[in-house]
Amino acid sequence: MDKSIYQVYEDEIQLLEEEIKLLTEKYEDIQHESTSFSDEEILMSIKLFQREHQGEVHGSPLDLKAELESLERDLSFIVKFTGIQFTSHSKKTLEKNANRTVQKHRLSGNCRSLPFQLEFQLLEMQNKENVSAVITDLSIIMESGEYSELSKFLSSAEEHGNLLLFFRSLSSYAEWHEHRRCTFLHFK
Amino acid sequence: MEETKSTEGNREVPWGRALTSVFRSGEGLGAAFPFARGKVEERKGRSRDGVLAYLETLEAEAHKLALKQEEEEEQKKQLVRLKARVKELRAKRDELRTKVELQEKRLLDKEGLVTDPAQPSAQTVLEWKIKSIKAMLQVFYLSGISGKRTKQGVCFCISTAYEGTYLDSYFLDILVKSEVQIQRHSVPVFIPLEQIAKEHLQADIRRFLAVLSDHLNAYAGRRYQADQLEERFSDRIEGTLQRNSLCNLLVFNYNVSSDSKPFPFKVKLLYGDLCCSLPTEAIISCTPGAPASLAEMAAAHSEAFRRMALHKAFNSLISAEGSQD
Repeated sequence: MDKSIYQVYEDEIQLLEEEIKLLTEKYEDIQHESTSFSDEEILMSIKLFQREHQGEVHGSPLDLKAELESLERDLSFIVKFTGIQFTSHSKKTLEKNANRTVQKHRLSGNCRSLPFQLEFQLLEMQNKENVSAVITDLSIIMESGEYSELSKFLSSAEEHGNLLLFFRSLSSYAEWHEHRRCTFLHFK
Repeated sequence: MEETKSTEGNREVPWGRALTSVFRSGEGLGAAFPFARGKVEERKGRSRDGVLAYLETLEAEAHKLALKQEEEEEQKKQLVRLKARVKELRAKRDELRTKVELQEKRLLDKEGLVTDPAQPSAQTVLEWKIKSIKAMLQVFYLSGISGKRTKQGVCFCISTAYEGTYLDSYFLDILVKSEVQIQRHSVPVFIPLEQIAKEHLQADIRRFLAVLSDHLNAYAGRRYQADQLEERFSDRIEGTLQRNSLCNLLVFNYNVSSDSKPFPFKVKLLYGDLCCSLPTEAIISCTPGAPASLAEMAAAHSEAFRRMALHKAFNSLISAEGSQD
């Protein structure tokens, strides 16, 4: 029997399995992005969840609660450490196929009491060894006040999609700003 | 001999089966093959070994035929299985496609947040929250410094990027006991980690990470620019681009034309500030005896290399040259 006839079916099976995986991810992403639960709803769900699975000994359901708590600890640590906090974050998947994903992010937050708002597109591409990430269409809204240097810096960062540099610079600027504020208060 | 020779590709399986069953039952060959007996008698004069060998060949061929038949049956079954699987997967794929299309249509109609009309289960809500937190942690990765607590301290991740393109990330496993210690890290050996740690690690860990991030990002930026130059302008570079591991010393050659004659320029870029991805010095030399007009060109090129990113500077020099001709 000719082996190539299997190959045709096996190739199609592989293609279909990949497509199914992609569609499932896409469905779940859109589902996630179009849903929102308030903090109260989340707290209630945690209580409800605990009650539902009381008495179960370390099954996979309870691991969900443990996972949530662990992630919240991780987040609270890094927020405290960097001084960067995000008050809202929304994502929208614009494009998704086997080797390309484009998501639009909207973020607002503050860095040591300096507020900012961001919008950008994140393009992730899968090549042979790794995933590459590129930022495009970066838009930054921030009060520059009397600091024209800051607004110049922001425009330059926007032009080059320099999200990382924005955060690094924002972090040190915010620290300096805070230090300056404390110094002034000290002399009042 | 023709009747007893098993023809290649003979599909008359019962013949082969009968033969093997005869051998298994222990009856003599004569039971299944009356004509074989005749042939055997015909050769009374020949050696007994020759006949036995011949019988062995028959047995082997019959066995082979039986195996082949089993294999073919198996293959048919396999094909049926594969076809069924394809059908199953196609149906699932089509179902998902419709689901996603419906979802997208619903979003367009209601433009904005859509919560499932049915009351979501506690599990769904928790899963949603988990996914949201993971997404937020990903943004910290994009911000350049992220990390999480470990049993004995913290594991930090410093990411690097050049403009909008993210490059390598580096890890530091930090122990916090009586003093802060770096237990493990993936920082390249040519980055002055020890020096930076000595100066900042105990005093101010945030400052330490910021300075290290500056070094790593500058290095990643320099390397990226050199890679871009090699990738995009390999046809314009004479020979190969030479660089050291820290990418703060680059040497390469390219040709410029003056009066339609090519002249080689040799460029040496020195990046004196390790936290900077622009060179502090750009030395351009040409062959002795080159026309004096080239000196002006060299000065202009040198300035371009000091002001702009390497691949962008080179690109502008090439375009300028092109418009001159």
